[in-house]
Amino acid sequence: MSSNSIIVEQLSKTYQVPEREGGFSAAVRGFFKRKYKDVKAVQEVNFTIAQGEIVGFLGPNGAGKTTTLKMLSGLLHPTGGNATVLGYTPWELKPDYLRSMTLVMGQRNRLSWDIPAADSFLLNQAIYRIPDDEYKETYKELDELLELDPLMKKPVRNLSLGERMKCEIAAGLLHRPKVLFLDEPTIGLDITGQVRIREFLREYNKRTGATILLTSHYMADVTALCERIIIIHQGQLKYDGGITDLSHKIAPFKLIGVRLSDADSHDLSGYGTQVQNEEDADKKYIQVKAEDVTRVTSRLLADLPIHDITITDPPIEDVIEQAFNQ
Amino acid sequence: MQTLKLLSSFLKVNIQMSLAYRADTVVNILLNFMWLGWELLSLNIIFSNTTSLGGWGLGELIALLGVFRLVNTMMMALIWPNTEKFNQSIRDGSMDYTILQPINSMFLVTFSRITVWRIWDLILAIVLIVVGINMSGDTTTAASILAFFLLTISGVIVIYSLWIVLIALTFWFTKFDNNVTILHALLDAGRYPATVYPVWLRMIVTFIIPVAVATTIPLQALRGDLNINQIILFFGVGVLSFWIATKVWKRGLKQYSGASS
Repeated sequence: MSSNSIIVEQLSKTYQVPEREGGFSAAVRGFFKRKYKDVKAVQEVNFTIAQGEIVGFLGPNGAGKTTTLKMLSGLLHPTGGNATVLGYTPWELKPDYLRSMTLVMGQRNRLSWDIPAADSFLLNQAIYRIPDDEYKETYKELDELLELDPLMKKPVRNLSLGERMKCEIAAGLLHRPKVLFLDEPTIGLDITGQVRIREFLREYNKRTGATILLTSHYMADVTALCERIIIIHQGQLKYDGGITDLSHKIAPFKLIGVRLSDADSHDLSGYGTQVQNEEDADKKYIQVKAEDVTRVTSRLLADLPIHDITITDPPIEDVIEQAFNQ
Repeated sequence: MQTLKLLSSFLKVNIQMSLAYRADTVVNILLNFMWLGWELLSLNIIFSNTTSLGGWGLGELIALLGVFRLVNTMMMALIWPNTEKFNQSIRDGSMDYTILQPINSMFLVTFSRITVWRIWDLILAIVLIVVGINMSGDTTTAASILAFFLLTISGVIVIYSLWIVLIALTFWFTKFDNNVTILHALLDAGRYPATVYPVWLRMIVTFIIPVAVATTIPLQALRGDLNINQIILFFGVGVLSFWIATKVWKRGLKQYSGASS
């Protein structure tokens, strides 16, 4: 086998989406004669991923990440281009291929709600034809890393979100896949939960040499796990390279958020670029270059009646938008 | 062999699920006996006034009732619960996981839920068939019993195939929760032998809706009313319908993978 486990060439996917204006008469017209619009979800994307690599797959909502993952796992037929994973064409859905990969989607459930995860695991063992001794060994290893034992006997519906995610991921790994496609595996989890999953993935990759391609909204997932990232935006590949290069190139900024006792009477434009943040309206945010953070912070603290100050990385979505919309 | 092993795993999981609801199981078994009593009683009322119904004797009708119950058990134990699960998996997207399992997705979708307490229905159906065959007596031979079993299997396959086609339509329309209600309405016509109905209706029931295939035809084979060519033909219908269903299912999966996002 070649050392590249994933090869993607000119991969494209165009959806036909019914298009209709609002209103009653348009609805009636649409019933008889439907208009379709082509939506180019993925356009001629190329990349290769070597065996054992962990690659972060980034892009704003609707950029085409999930569509690409679905094509690579075999759920979707592309409208153009080609892809091979472990030497297989994914959408042929060959059983040998399906036994050597896994797709875990943070927002979908694989496990049955009404029965304990242990029973679903045994069903998976039968479906993937895992021999007993191999199953026991894999389970032991997963239990060591994820502490599954206490969760196994409760019906899945009684587990917390974080506990359920651990079980979902474990269920997807019982057959020891060589390639892992993870779509938002940490979504909705609290910080501890995210860290657990992250540590697990790193350790799993080290032990098994599995190739991992993951999407995430959390920059921390990506920075902790991936040396390399691929960014797509509006269906096109925009960046493919080291993560350190990316932050040098497009995110040498930090966000300083301040809460002032008398917010409206102070002008912050002298300290850096002011940014809007709708979620947290009573706080003001300014964007400054990373090397200026210490200087600007101390000036702010000295000059203004500050109640609260935070320094954060800009959200990954903003970084990407900013970098490629210029 | 692998299939049997999987089936037993499905069965195990389903037994575990239903053991949680004890009262439910008891009530359902009782209800089942009540319905059987009612059906036998109505047959008895009909036959206290006449000796045959459309040329069929009491024993034959009891056997027919047995076959009908067999098909009905399939509806209740497999078709309903799996369709419900299927429709839900289309809505919530867990169908994606089903497709990515390394086994036949059609098999997985149609056998992963089994209402286990329906085992009583199955036993009842078999008892009715055996009793009915015994009562009808003289016309049956070893060959006709064999033909009966072959055609019963073929009939069950026809209904299974029809079901596959109906649920596969969901791949095109995404919202088609009535898929099984339609099937149920069709099947209910099979409760009485097709020869009771007028010719035009019989044509529909026998050919356009191949449900009678599952109930009446096996019985005709049992009585020795069918010649060898007809038996082969009807068995062929079963094979053909299964083949068509498999094709439709595959097309449906392809449609699903083309449209979902």
